[in-house]
Amino acid sequence: MSKIQKIKLCLFIFFIIAAVVFAILFPRLTLPFGFAYIIYIMAHPLTILLTKGTVRQRIWYSFLFLLATLFLLFPVFATVYNANTDLSGLSKQLPEIQKIIQDKFFLFKVNFFEKYGIRVNLDPVNFMMSKLEFFGSDFVSRFPDYLSSVFEWILLVPMFLYFFFKESGNLGTKLMEAIPNPIFEKAYVLFSHFNTKFGEYIIAKFVEAAILGTLVTVGLLLIGFPYPFILGFVAGITNILPYIGPVIGFIPAFGIALLSKDPTVSMWGMVIIYTVANLIDMILVFPLLVSKIVNLHPIVVVVSIIVGSQLGGIVGMIVIIPFIAFFKILFIEIYKDLSVNI
Amino acid sequence: MSFEKEMMEKISLGEGTSDRLDIPLLKYLWEASPLSFLAKESYHEFFKKISVLSSFSDNEVRIFTKYLHRREFTTNEVIFRQGDSGYGFYFIFSGAVNIYSSHSTLNSDDPGDLIVRLEKRQYFGEMGLLEEFNRRTATVISAENTILLGIFKPDLERMLEVHPVLGAKFLRETALIMANRMGQLTREIVSLKKKMKELDQRI
Repeated sequence: MSKIQKIKLCLFIFFIIAAVVFAILFPRLTLPFGFAYIIYIMAHPLTILLTKGTVRQRIWYSFLFLLATLFLLFPVFATVYNANTDLSGLSKQLPEIQKIIQDKFFLFKVNFFEKYGIRVNLDPVNFMMSKLEFFGSDFVSRFPDYLSSVFEWILLVPMFLYFFFKESGNLGTKLMEAIPNPIFEKAYVLFSHFNTKFGEYIIAKFVEAAILGTLVTVGLLLIGFPYPFILGFVAGITNILPYIGPVIGFIPAFGIALLSKDPTVSMWGMVIIYTVANLIDMILVFPLLVSKIVNLHPIVVVVSIIVGSQLGGIVGMIVIIPFIAFFKILFIEIYKDLSVNI
Repeated sequence: MSFEKEMMEKISLGEGTSDRLDIPLLKYLWEASPLSFLAKESYHEFFKKISVLSSFSDNEVRIFTKYLHRREFTTNEVIFRQGDSGYGFYFIFSGAVNIYSSHSTLNSDDPGDLIVRLEKRQYFGEMGLLEEFNRRTATVISAENTILLGIFKPDLERMLEVHPVLGAKFLRETALIMANRMGQLTREIVSLKKKMKELDQRI
């Protein structure tokens, strides 16, 4: 390798490291950027389909951009609109919930004393309420920050999205020009491979979430469980997170079944529905849709999710898996090259 | 089908054309014009003179060039080494390259024996585009300051997805290149066998 090539390679590596450091230091920019990229990737098959026609590309990109923006803004406005009603409802129900928990815990203490002769002197209800009050006041004090970050996302995500749609393939080609000659072929192919796998993974996870959400909703509707649509939606969305997701998705339904006084609300029916839906997901949907794309050991997946949540919260938990899959491919490629050259 | 014919057909079918100026198209036509004295040589002219791609229409060449990557190499710069993973097919836009082959599989600085020198409008590396796990069978080094136009596996996949007719046409042309090389190899093997037989008889 000549001296100029070495300098070019060093500059390129420096640029990559600087980009990674920037991404870690400024998550307020990188997270909306990543989210916009996920939406762009999800819309990619639609982009190809639409741009095959005779209508000008820019019109389709504008249409897609509007569609994606609506898709993005709808949950924000829907949440803001419903949050007030839900919160006032919750504040009215809170004393009732507190009483139910206190009664149940009192019964537990009595039973425990009768069975084992040991008196339980804990008062978890007051402890929980004080914690809840603390979180509530903390949330109120931080509310302006949350609101500003929501508006930041509303501003930044559509902006990045428009940029992705407009530049489409050109951006990648322009960035690729900066790659030094000795590593160009491999870097370009790996980058393209990652892009394809990432898009496939995100789409597969959302399809999987939609299937599981539908199964849970239909099941809960059939047994007459309350809030089937919301619970189905929560089960679907949380299912995007591998392994941990189904457990998180189950908690709200379990809480409702536990606290409900209505005799028609069946705890066992709900448990069976969640179990069957998750079994269908594990045995049928996941192997057919997702596992072919990301072939990682379960322990690697769990550790990756924890690392992802540390780095980038919920978005980090979702996107870390294809990144790890990419690094696996990268290491295999480097290993193969080394074994040929040694 | 030429671009002109394509447009005429669209008009006759009543599909109509945009009344807005298509700047990239105008720029392309300006560069492609034989009367243009500004451009040294456009991609259009370049590909029109490559025999295997001569069946491409003007519009197809225009689309095809969008998938290419321009890479610049200085004299004696290694383009790829024997044994490297291969993913791309290169056209020499300007300059020249030397192709070397070595019997040793070890990664040394010695590229081996010079096999052939390829110049402007010639091409190499087509196996890398078609084979799933391709290993380069020779080392290619630029003989002078060289500009290459490369197309890689992901580009071909994208082309087949977005412009399937063009993608299939390009694959057919690549298969023709491979067939020509195979024919050449077969002829060389036959000739070598003949020479060996003659040598045997002499001994």
